[in-house]
Amino acid sequence: MKSFNYTITDPVGIHARPAGILVKEIKNYVGTTVTVTKGDKSVNALKLMALMGMGIKQGDTVTVSIEGENEEEVAAKIEEFFKTYF
Amino acid sequence: MALDYRKCAEEIYSHLGGRENIISAAHCATRLRLVIADNSKLDKEALENVDGVKGMFESNGQLQLIIGTGTVNKVYDEFLAVTGMTAATKDEVKAAAAAQAPLWRRILKVPGDVFVPILPAIVASGLMMGIVEAIPKFAPAFGATDWFSFLDLVANTAFALLPVLVAISASRVFGCNIFLGAVMGLMMVHPALINAWTVGNYAAGEIPTWHLLFFNVQQVGYQGHVIPVILSILLMSYIEKWLHKHVPEMIDLFVTPLCTVLVTSFITFTIIGPVFSVVENWVLAGAQVLITIGAGLGAAVMGAIYPLTVVMGLHHMYNVIEAGMISSTGVNTWMPIASAANFAQFGACLAVALKVKNQKTKSVALPSSLSASLGITEPAIFGINFRFMKPFACGMAGGAVASFLASHMHGTDMAGNVVPFGATTYGVTGIPGIPAVNNTGMYLIELLVAAGVAFALTWIIWKEDEQPKAKKEAAPAKAAEKIEAPKTSVIRCAAGAVLQPTKGKVIAREQIPDETFAAGILGDGVGIEPEEGVVVAPFDGEVTSVADSKHAIGLESNGMEVLIHVGVDTVSMNGNGFTPAVKEGDKVKAGQKILTFDRAKIKAAGHPDTVVVLLTNSDDLENVECGAK
Repeated sequence: MKSFNYTITDPVGIHARPAGILVKEIKNYVGTTVTVTKGDKSVNALKLMALMGMGIKQGDTVTVSIEGENEEEVAAKIEEFFKTYF
Repeated sequence: MALDYRKCAEEIYSHLGGRENIISAAHCATRLRLVIADNSKLDKEALENVDGVKGMFESNGQLQLIIGTGTVNKVYDEFLAVTGMTAATKDEVKAAAAAQAPLWRRILKVPGDVFVPILPAIVASGLMMGIVEAIPKFAPAFGATDWFSFLDLVANTAFALLPVLVAISASRVFGCNIFLGAVMGLMMVHPALINAWTVGNYAAGEIPTWHLLFFNVQQVGYQGHVIPVILSILLMSYIEKWLHKHVPEMIDLFVTPLCTVLVTSFITFTIIGPVFSVVENWVLAGAQVLITIGAGLGAAVMGAIYPLTVVMGLHHMYNVIEAGMISSTGVNTWMPIASAANFAQFGACLAVALKVKNQKTKSVALPSSLSASLGITEPAIFGINFRFMKPFACGMAGGAVASFLASHMHGTDMAGNVVPFGATTYGVTGIPGIPAVNNTGMYLIELLVAAGVAFALTWIIWKEDEQPKAKKEAAPAKAAEKIEAPKTSVIRCAAGAVLQPTKGKVIAREQIPDETFAAGILGDGVGIEPEEGVVVAPFDGEVTSVADSKHAIGLESNGMEVLIHVGVDTVSMNGNGFTPAVKEGDKVKAGQKILTFDRAKIKAAGHPDTVVVLLTNSDDLENVECGAK
């Protein structure tokens, strides 16, 4: 399992639209499970509703864990994605 | 079967969301009264089903569980044992509840909170003073007896030293040490200071004065003052709390009281006292002008609106004015107006009681009117007059007429001098006010007019077939509560249908004025151009998320995950203009209101108000079809 921490810089945080594009991105990596953790709450990043329910805001630090096929490669791509969009 | 108190208490406790969610607990004759930090943590349904709990409601920031006479105290004891809480008095619970009320309400509550507890002292003194002063009018010799002198002393004690009572009561309200509060009150009427009532005997230059720093402080007491005392204690409560927090515990015991009293008294005598006794004099003068201007019209207006202030709970504020009047002039000219207003409500209520055929209304109206005649008008106002509205208005008219009359009446004081018509106390109106007024005959006429006008008007105008106003309102409200599911659906799939949550024109997803939504990244769905700012549940299901910024709600039903997002880019409005009616985890019925929003505010913020309805997991569902149908 690979994981990284990321502090959100996007002013609106991970709300509806950002969450939507994240879910869409993750759907590209069939065979991996991505988990987003904030505090003591963890959700499967494919679940849009659950992701939005976390209420991730600017300044929050989240832990993203990737498990499955090619996790090294996928983790790098997802980290890049976070840096670009959030 | 007898109730297992322990079990009942334990069960209640288990549904309250943890010990830290309970701020305080108290009980009255039938109810367990709790102040809860976060009501959303309560399991209300479970609470109502606890064996022993006969009902539950929330009022004034309190959660009240009806348990029953004779039982509630036992459950309460067990409850304290279970939670490890200490007993709170009802006052403490009320105070904790009040802390959750908005600021302006808390400010308006202060005079009432301070004066209501000292009413017994005021009423005892006032009534005795009324009687003692009335006797010499019929038996002049009595005024020279020892008995008179003794009774006069007894009667005027509470008024002569009023600041002490006010200071102690205010200390309880503001939560500071009541003995330090008493010291402040006593200091303000200290015998070494010139009595505020005799200061007129001194020429301006003769009044002894302290020179403290930049202040010249006249050595005059605060007899008869109220507002400076309350403010002084308020200040003291802040100083005391601050010191308790910052002074090391080892020396707290002697440093804190010493510094508290020293600092408070200095500021009281240099700033609060001089400034606010002037302000208070203005308030009193204003009140006296108000009830005398316009040849009694001012009094009439006051007599009319008085019951409205009772309805709003503001009437305890008048205590400050009345206490000030008695202390400064010896005559409470406000009381005849309060009496007129209250006794008129009695008249109106009595008319209803005699005219009504409905036995239930009659059984409420009769005792309520009796209580009103004794000056306690709340049952009559809230139980009858205000509900039917017309009797209330007739009562206002009666109050106005009688107040107008009263402002033209005169009384006589003990010495036989003609003085304005009024009372020697406050807190009593109606029949119990008789011994307190300085002209009994006039007072009786005033009461007769007040009740008579209100009774006659109510008798003529009010008709029984008019339903109580509250009921009328309740009826449509009930109809609105009867949830009606929307008739059109906007998304359909194998798992079910998503009904149209907002009235308006349904547009295709591709036409939503936002790329992400239009491209279907968050799922397939539709947009709605809203006609009104209401969103209802699109199916029977559960609320899975409510955005912090309140503009989006997620719901789930039978595997369908639906996001209802109001407006585009509205996340930047931070919730302003959006009022969710549900919270995460709530079960909803199709058609139930879940969110209201202010279309004008969205427009003003420069965003489209399109309501976006998306089936976020549309990829995982079969036969998804969008569009109104």
